[in-house]
Amino acid sequence: MFDLGAARIAVRSPIESFHQQLDLVYRDYGEEDPAGFADVRVALLPGHPLRLWKRQIALWSEGSRPFEPYPVGSGLPLFEWGGNWLLAQRLNAYLLLHAGVLARNDRALILPAAPGSGKSTLTCALHLAGWRFLSDEFGVLDPDSGDLLPLLKPAALKNRSIGIIGQHPRARLGPVFPGTRKGDVAHFVPLRDSIADRHRPARPRLIIFPRFRDGAALCCTPIHTADAAMRLGLNSFNYRTLGTVGFDAVVRLARATRAFELEYGDLSAAIAHIDALFAEHA
Amino acid sequence: MKPPLSRELQLLLRALSAPLDTDITTWERLLRLARMTALHGRLAAANRDNPTLPAPVRRHLLSAERVCAFNNQMLRAELTELAALCDGSFPVLVVKGGAYALQGQRFARGRFVSDVDLLVPRDHLRAMEQGLRAAGWVPAQLDPYDERYYRDWSHETPPMRFPGRFLEVDLHHAITPVTGSLCFDPAPLFDASVLLADSPFRVLSAEDQVLHACVHCFQDGDLALRVREVVDIDGLVRAAATQDGFWKRLLERAGQLGLQLPLWYGLHFAHAWMETPLAPGALDALPGPSTLSRSLMDRLVPLAMLPHDPDHPPPAPVRVARLAMLARYHLQRMPPSMLVPHLARKAALRLRGRFTRTPAQKTESQP
Repeated sequence: MFDLGAARIAVRSPIESFHQQLDLVYRDYGEEDPAGFADVRVALLPGHPLRLWKRQIALWSEGSRPFEPYPVGSGLPLFEWGGNWLLAQRLNAYLLLHAGVLARNDRALILPAAPGSGKSTLTCALHLAGWRFLSDEFGVLDPDSGDLLPLLKPAALKNRSIGIIGQHPRARLGPVFPGTRKGDVAHFVPLRDSIADRHRPARPRLIIFPRFRDGAALCCTPIHTADAAMRLGLNSFNYRTLGTVGFDAVVRLARATRAFELEYGDLSAAIAHIDALFAEHA
Repeated sequence: MKPPLSRELQLLLRALSAPLDTDITTWERLLRLARMTALHGRLAAANRDNPTLPAPVRRHLLSAERVCAFNNQMLRAELTELAALCDGSFPVLVVKGGAYALQGQRFARGRFVSDVDLLVPRDHLRAMEQGLRAAGWVPAQLDPYDERYYRDWSHETPPMRFPGRFLEVDLHHAITPVTGSLCFDPAPLFDASVLLADSPFRVLSAEDQVLHACVHCFQDGDLALRVREVVDIDGLVRAAATQDGFWKRLLERAGQLGLQLPLWYGLHFAHAWMETPLAPGALDALPGPSTLSRSLMDRLVPLAMLPHDPDHPPPAPVRVARLAMLARYHLQRMPPSMLVPHLARKAALRLRGRFTRTPAQKTESQP
């Protein structure tokens, strides 16, 4: 059982290759007592026993198999993806933003974005440049306190990002899984300090909607509070489900922060610009 | 013999109507069993103000409550849109979850609905369907075989959905398949139906609602994890039993419509699992199943309908029981002379699908 901060996930499996993948990526998390409370419990079991060729691995949760099985060597991507899906079903006590979240001195920077906008790469690069990592996939907002809670899933890096982040001396990545649904995938492990701080919430201060475009010059545009609130709703997994709670939460979040859209083609220039913006507005 | 329930299941079913005080480990198991059976909304509703809840449990119940509130809001929005299509020229009945919500039934709090079910007289089915299409609802895309299956052999039209909205609308003209062994003329259902206040819709009478729930309960595919259907029967009976003469009317009505057997099973399992209070001698007054059927059902129904251990895939006996219930369902739905070609065709289509679709495409279609 792993403690991710805002949630705990328990997994069991008889498949040795999956254990090796887990050990690589979750080594620094430590293991919790499996008898304790888990928000999600899954088992990764071998696919059909009569299938002798192209063996598979299936994710079981509460007596059912919500997804088609993966090839037997791809246990970790299945666990990560399936775990995210299950967490999203069950964490409606919170507003779940599709966003990377980082912090400095417990003041949070939120990077909400659609898939393919370079969010994970930017999140990992900022983290390696000294920011505390709270999450890459789920920005967990507690509507009662208005704080962001860490949910430290490893970040799933895709295709070119694997090389860009992987070349950093402090970056630790799990194995590369070539040719998944989303292309090549490798999992980035947050640094130990951030894992140790996984129960420390952060106050929202700055929102940046990132958009990576090859060769683009850096372009940063302020976003009006009302627009920011709407765009936060659009970049949320459960904004509609939460009804008025979700609306109140995004409005409060937009009012408590400054928001910008940042188009960039050069990662280090983007990081320098974000550092400056944060120093000015947070 | 009463089918025995595990302690966990007893706790779960009790916690659907009254707050529960137990340790966090038990709570985690109950949350998982409730999610398996889609009863977590009811668990949340009954424990809303429970001061003994551990914090993580409270968080999960709050999550379920919010999902359920959204589901309920979608239901009410759909019904409001549908109400505009009812001009009063023929009766339109809301049945199942939609009715329970509009009636403000106590047991409907925390109940999820998967679709909106309407019942209209067969002569007006086409008019209602065309009204829906004209107003923007779109029927599900079906191949000609499935289309004919719905039209000729079923008791409903293909499901319709308004683009962009969440819930499907099912139009029924009867509560049993027209080819099934329980088939009866639904005219008395309309005659006894009740107009709702502040709404153009009607609902079934209290007795007919119980009978419909019983028919539905044991007529839905493999019955896997469908214990919530029995929970509905319990809720309906408890609500209606406060009316004078309810039991006498219920038993008479079951005889009149030929639904004594489904009623017997419904009351039997509701009493066994939910401790539903029954009128003295009510079960004995019904011509029940044969001893053989009864002992088979007492073994198979709990295996199929109740949740198994959430830590493991369904064990072999559970899978066998679900298969047996599926076979029973099909045999009740149509005579073997129709069933065999139907199932053969379905199996052939599935086999063909397996060879023409790549695994990657299958994964894409998952939620």
